[in-house]
Amino acid sequence: MSYGTEETTMSQKNKDAGLDRRNFFKALGAGATAAVAPVAVTPAAAVDPGKDETKARYRESEHVKDFYRVNRY
Amino acid sequence: MARMKFLCDADRCIECNACVTACKNENDVPWGINRRRVVTINDGKPGERSVSMACMHCTDAPCAAVCPVDCFYTTADAVVLHNKDLCIGCGYCFYACPFGAPQYPKVSNFGSRGKMDKCTYCSGGPEVDLSPAEFQKYGSNRLAEGKLPLCAEMCSTKSLLAGDGEVIAQIYKERVVKRGYGSGAWGWQTAYRETITI
Repeated sequence: MSYGTEETTMSQKNKDAGLDRRNFFKALGAGATAAVAPVAVTPAAAVDPGKDETKARYRESEHVKDFYRVNRY
Repeated sequence: MARMKFLCDADRCIECNACVTACKNENDVPWGINRRRVVTINDGKPGERSVSMACMHCTDAPCAAVCPVDCFYTTADAVVLHNKDLCIGCGYCFYACPFGAPQYPKVSNFGSRGKMDKCTYCSGGPEVDLSPAEFQKYGSNRLAEGKLPLCAEMCSTKSLLAGDGEVIAQIYKERVVKRGYGSGAWGWQTAYRETITI
């Protein structure tokens, strides 16, 4: 018996089983889509750091004024 | 509104690394991370230049643009900060940053990254100002204390300037007008001979 003959026999067997090797993932994908579809998808929202976190902290204190003054030299 | 900026005068930087040391000490930066570092160009050759680099707090920050969890935010002072509770340590910001500012602590022996760490312009993070939690995650908050980043305040040659962008730009202009620039600067010919022009 040659190898070619054996392969033909095996693919023939799979077809007989009802689920073709080439269509297996297609069938699986369709099943998964059907299962996921009804779930509601909420859009991702960017996190707002809030006004307190983004407020200005810099102020021209005496310390800062001294820094500017000595840097002019 | 004042916009916080760094300006490093490469003519004055002597590569002493005091800014790097001051930053690490002030912010209790973990091992293996340098929020600031000194880069030297043409090391050992005539015309050698050093420049102190850290996060430049970009106006349109590329790190923030690529962050998948959107953990970056810009304060009213134009300081780019991030939230370590949101950071997933993916490393995108490291690739996006043209200055190599984002750094990652090594948390295990298997190459996994910890939360990103970068220069905060000594202004802490999203936690309550001057709280222990803020210090533990982001380091000190000198801006809230009415001070400026320690790297600039420590600079012995006054090379590194920090503060309101308009003020430090004006200070730099005054210096150039008064003392000259590059090989035209006061004392250059005495120090480096007349043959060297940069």
